[in-house]
Amino acid sequence: MQLYLPIAEIPVNIFVIFAMGGAVGFLSGLFGIGGGFLLTPLLIFSGIPPAVSVATVTTQVVASSASAVVTYWRRKAIDFKLAGILLAGGVFGSLIGVILFDVLQSVGQLDLVISLSYVTFLGAIGGLMLFESVRAIRRRKSGSAPSARRPGQHNWIHGLPLKVRFRRSKLYVSVIPVVGLGAIIGFLGTILGIGGGFMMVPALIYLLRVPTSIVIGTSLFQILFTMAAATIFHSMGTKTVDIVLALTLMIGGVIGAQFGARMGQNLRGDQLRLLLALLVLGVGLRFAVDLLLIPDDFYSIAIRKGAGS
Amino acid sequence: MRCLVLLLALILVPVGGHAQSVSNEDLVTALSSDVVSIQSNFTGTEIVIFGQASHIARQPNDPSGYELAIVVEGPPQDITTRRKGRFLGVWVNREAERFQAVPSFYAVASSVDIGMMADRTVLDELGIGLNHINLAVSGVSNVPLSDRDDFRKAFIRLREEAGLYSEQETSIEFLTHTMFRTNIPLPANIPVGDYKVKSFLFHHGEVVSQTEESLAVAKIGFEQITFELAQHYPFFYGVLAVMLAIFTGWLAGVIFRKD
Repeated sequence: MQLYLPIAEIPVNIFVIFAMGGAVGFLSGLFGIGGGFLLTPLLIFSGIPPAVSVATVTTQVVASSASAVVTYWRRKAIDFKLAGILLAGGVFGSLIGVILFDVLQSVGQLDLVISLSYVTFLGAIGGLMLFESVRAIRRRKSGSAPSARRPGQHNWIHGLPLKVRFRRSKLYVSVIPVVGLGAIIGFLGTILGIGGGFMMVPALIYLLRVPTSIVIGTSLFQILFTMAAATIFHSMGTKTVDIVLALTLMIGGVIGAQFGARMGQNLRGDQLRLLLALLVLGVGLRFAVDLLLIPDDFYSIAIRKGAGS
Repeated sequence: MRCLVLLLALILVPVGGHAQSVSNEDLVTALSSDVVSIQSNFTGTEIVIFGQASHIARQPNDPSGYELAIVVEGPPQDITTRRKGRFLGVWVNREAERFQAVPSFYAVASSVDIGMMADRTVLDELGIGLNHINLAVSGVSNVPLSDRDDFRKAFIRLREEAGLYSEQETSIEFLTHTMFRTNIPLPANIPVGDYKVKSFLFHHGEVVSQTEESLAVAKIGFEQITFELAQHYPFFYGVLAVMLAIFTGWLAGVIFRKD
């Protein structure tokens, strides 16, 4: 069934979009990720204008994280103070992101920056996850016990000034890295149309030493509000949030996520991380290939002013 | 032989002149609809242009020099055409050319090959045919002069591939000696706005009569409300999108609650 999208101004097959939302939702439920980094490229490759794809996925991420936040809230697995400070940074980063998005679009380098960022971040994070999960699987196979992490361990971040106590996370840490982390992820999320959970979670665990039981709920909570801000900024700045496309994706996404979550319970953690690492690397590679191969068409056009711009 | 040609010319010229001064070639055209409305089920449509050119006595397969061209033009746009080049091993957009106030949609239908209808200068002036559209470029451009034509060709090719520019020669069908019709397909991705439908009647390479009609392409109903909300009340639209997302997420969280 073809449905005309009011903002993207093209008709799409609504079932295809719904299925895409469902498939990405399934993976996000399986791996406990937002899935924005999969959905945005998928939409772009299927012919939705990149600006609309990025802006609309921020809205979809709001829905998928809201769905998960409900669960973590009930379990009291959210550090609201930490999330609040991350969020302050996130909103600021997101605002800078929207401004840069506009500038890049007008000079014609938005696609390049999106591709390069995907290659860099997905490549780096996918590579790290692959390395880590392969090591974990090997260790499990050889039977040796993993080395226990000492909770009191400190790194250079814990030497920074402006320290604040986070009771829920049992942390006493400077606000500078917290705001900075929020800002970087808010910025990237807005430019790339991703929630950034797959970057936020490792950063909170390895850099700030937030307890793992608190990390996911807190990260989701801050992503929810950062992406809500990004949706509003995109609506006001680029005017490319397509509410019909977003709604279709979210309904598919939240349903798919339930099935994914159920299946995820039957798989081992290190196996899941290995699969996710391969998935992340695959998407990054796809962007890299596009940048390196000789393009099919050297020319492209972009409407700058007037009807349909 | 030369005498014969001269004789023929002498006979023909006054006759031609006579026909033009006496017969008043009136062109009348009508559109199948003056509004194209875009709703949620819009997947493109077509408009039919009917017309009558009186006193032309056109014979099928033996045209007496009377030919028709119909141009459908969408609202103007500024469009940047970019070309990729290799930079540090990566393909990036390098040169750019900005075309100003070019039609967002352009379709031309004609009764004969466009090149045979009139001289290049006439076609250029009226903007009839894809090779004759006026594509004004902005002064600021990093495109070398020798490559300007490549950009122009690429621009038209990309617009043709998007279905937004088209040329259908010999697609005007004569129903009688004087009555004609043609269909212009409007693809699903047509921009909204005010369109112009211009019809030209040529006689031996000169325009003897022309008409212009307007066609509105507009979103209606839900599509229109959504679009206008996003354009005029963007903050409210953004908040609405967020609320819709939170509600959908919350609802799913409640419906699929495991405990």
